[in-house]
Amino acid sequence: MAFIKKLGFNLFAWAIVLAVAFPLFWMLVTSVKPAFELFRRPPTMLPETFTFEHYLHLIERTNFLTSFRNSVILSTATTIVVVAIGTLGAYSLVRFKFRGRESLAFLVLFTYLLPSVVLIIPLYLLLVQIGLANNIFSLVIAYTTFALPYALWLLRSFMAGIPEDLESAALVDGASRMGAFVDVILPQLLPGIISTALFTFILSWNEYLYALVLVNSDDARPLTTGVMNMLVSSFNIEWSLLMAASVMMSVPLIIVFAFLQSYLTRGFGAGGVKG
Amino acid sequence: MAAVVFSKVRKEFGSFTAVHGLDLNIEEGEFVSLLGPSGCGKTTTLRMLAGLEFPTSGSIEIGDRLVNDLAPGQRDIAMVFQSYALYPHMSVAQNIAYPLKKRGVPTAEQRKSVEATATLLQLTELLERKPRQLSGGQQQRVALGRALVRDPKVFLLDEPLSNLDAKLRGYMRVELVELHRRLGRTMVYVTHDQLEAMTMSDRIAVMDGGELQQFAPPTKVYAEPANRFVASFIGTPAMTLVDGELAREGDSWTFNTDGLSLSVGTLADAAEAGSACLGVRPENVRIGQGSISATVKVVEKTGHENIVFLKLAGGHRLTARTSAQEVWQPGEAVKIALDADHVHIFGPGSRGSRWNRPAAAQEAPAPAQKTSMTPPTSKTGSTVQEATP
Repeated sequence: MAFIKKLGFNLFAWAIVLAVAFPLFWMLVTSVKPAFELFRRPPTMLPETFTFEHYLHLIERTNFLTSFRNSVILSTATTIVVVAIGTLGAYSLVRFKFRGRESLAFLVLFTYLLPSVVLIIPLYLLLVQIGLANNIFSLVIAYTTFALPYALWLLRSFMAGIPEDLESAALVDGASRMGAFVDVILPQLLPGIISTALFTFILSWNEYLYALVLVNSDDARPLTTGVMNMLVSSFNIEWSLLMAASVMMSVPLIIVFAFLQSYLTRGFGAGGVKG
Repeated sequence: MAAVVFSKVRKEFGSFTAVHGLDLNIEEGEFVSLLGPSGCGKTTTLRMLAGLEFPTSGSIEIGDRLVNDLAPGQRDIAMVFQSYALYPHMSVAQNIAYPLKKRGVPTAEQRKSVEATATLLQLTELLERKPRQLSGGQQQRVALGRALVRDPKVFLLDEPLSNLDAKLRGYMRVELVELHRRLGRTMVYVTHDQLEAMTMSDRIAVMDGGELQQFAPPTKVYAEPANRFVASFIGTPAMTLVDGELAREGDSWTFNTDGLSLSVGTLADAAEAGSACLGVRPENVRIGQGSISATVKVVEKTGHENIVFLKLAGGHRLTARTSAQEVWQPGEAVKIALDADHVHIFGPGSRGSRWNRPAAAQEAPAPAQKTSMTPPTSKTGSTVQEATP
């Protein structure tokens, strides 16, 4: 009986893994199949001939690298801005006592109640007025506006978990407020900062709607809209190129995740204070 | 001079007043405990001294220097927190070196000081460990080391022993007293544990509801509690307090209540006839003598003594302390006597002041001056306390 239960559980778990992994596998396989093999019936599970022509084509004959660079700049800049503002904001929301502190925190969250669609047009007009339309920095601003509330709340809860005594101790030991923040608070906040950075980076990397509306020139497009624009038209979808582009788009995220996940699970700050 | 002086210090948090006009004069090299129940304002007082809270009004001086507006780092103090507040990402050595680093001490000198402190506190083996790899007692010593390394003017200790087990706590009490004697520095110690306050302090500041109730050496706090609150707070088992009426006949006063009438001799001028409260410590109750009728309810045997809970004819309860050899049985009807010289009379109300004549006035005129850095050797309070582990 126990064996059947275990078997059932395993089958169920592997079914989920398969459902998640198969599209990724198919993406990878399609990207290295030659075009003539693509629509063969029955389809070939593993390609009969490997080719990297789609990758070369993307890199040499399309705007892929420009878009890639735009996405990297855009996502990195957004992440830096959001983490910087979010960390200081969360600190002030947790440590400083001022009138309306709680309401302010809820007001920040309130912005999430509005569907992002209704904000596009006002934001677009605003960015045109300050002369940032058609520029990747308009996207940095846009993404910051909707990543920041979540980042603030995430960091706020991490910050609240850091004992106030640690900061007090640093102050008594002769640190300035900023010194105590850098020496003591930031290292404790690292898991929170990494979670927030991951969230923001992925959000900016994958965002489509705002990129579509706010940026129209090929030079400024990030990957999401850039790839769509290059490879998907009303008459034709370049499946092989699309899959090759998708693989290359996924790689940075996989690298970022693989690198930061070890930090996330390392368990900082355990046992520092007793209480 | 690193005396600490609080003058009319008041602290408000919104509409709540945590400390009401505190006046406290701590002398250089003195070990002073701030003692009181939770919420009495003792930690707020310490945090104001540390510079982590700022007084709403009044002034705080450390060694003739007004520190009201100084940042904690500029006050030349060190503090040990209840939670120890060790920096979790730093090694023990880095933790201890941090105050030196923040004051720009050269690295070579830092290392020397850290090693000296580590030797003093037996931490040498642990210098490379992280705080989470240490036991509670070791963490406590690291926190102490971080405070000691810099030789500050005043040490602030916020319930540093409350997270240790009973055995280690007893050991650390002795260590701290020794440390204080060796360093000769002013130490301000916050605790809610009267045993710690009684055994370690030169003087105890008993606080309640944000107000100072009494500031005196432990023996005096025990023998002559300033008011009913101090009387009930200090001592284990607690002083028995019985409400009743005070009557006067010439210079002599009598305390009356159901089942008990006691002549208490002369009282201070402040005494008034009418409702009052009689206080008697368990060791001042003699069972088997005198004329007051009582019934034994419960006997607690601690090994070296017995605590006997009695009920008077009028229904009042009374606690007595007897030697281990005196055996009384629950339910037994007994006669008891109270040591007339050691009963306390308090005015009405939960903080009614003590109406007995001060001992100094009755005997030799020796005002209760504190004797700096006297190790607490044989204090009445401490021996009494040991009864309850």
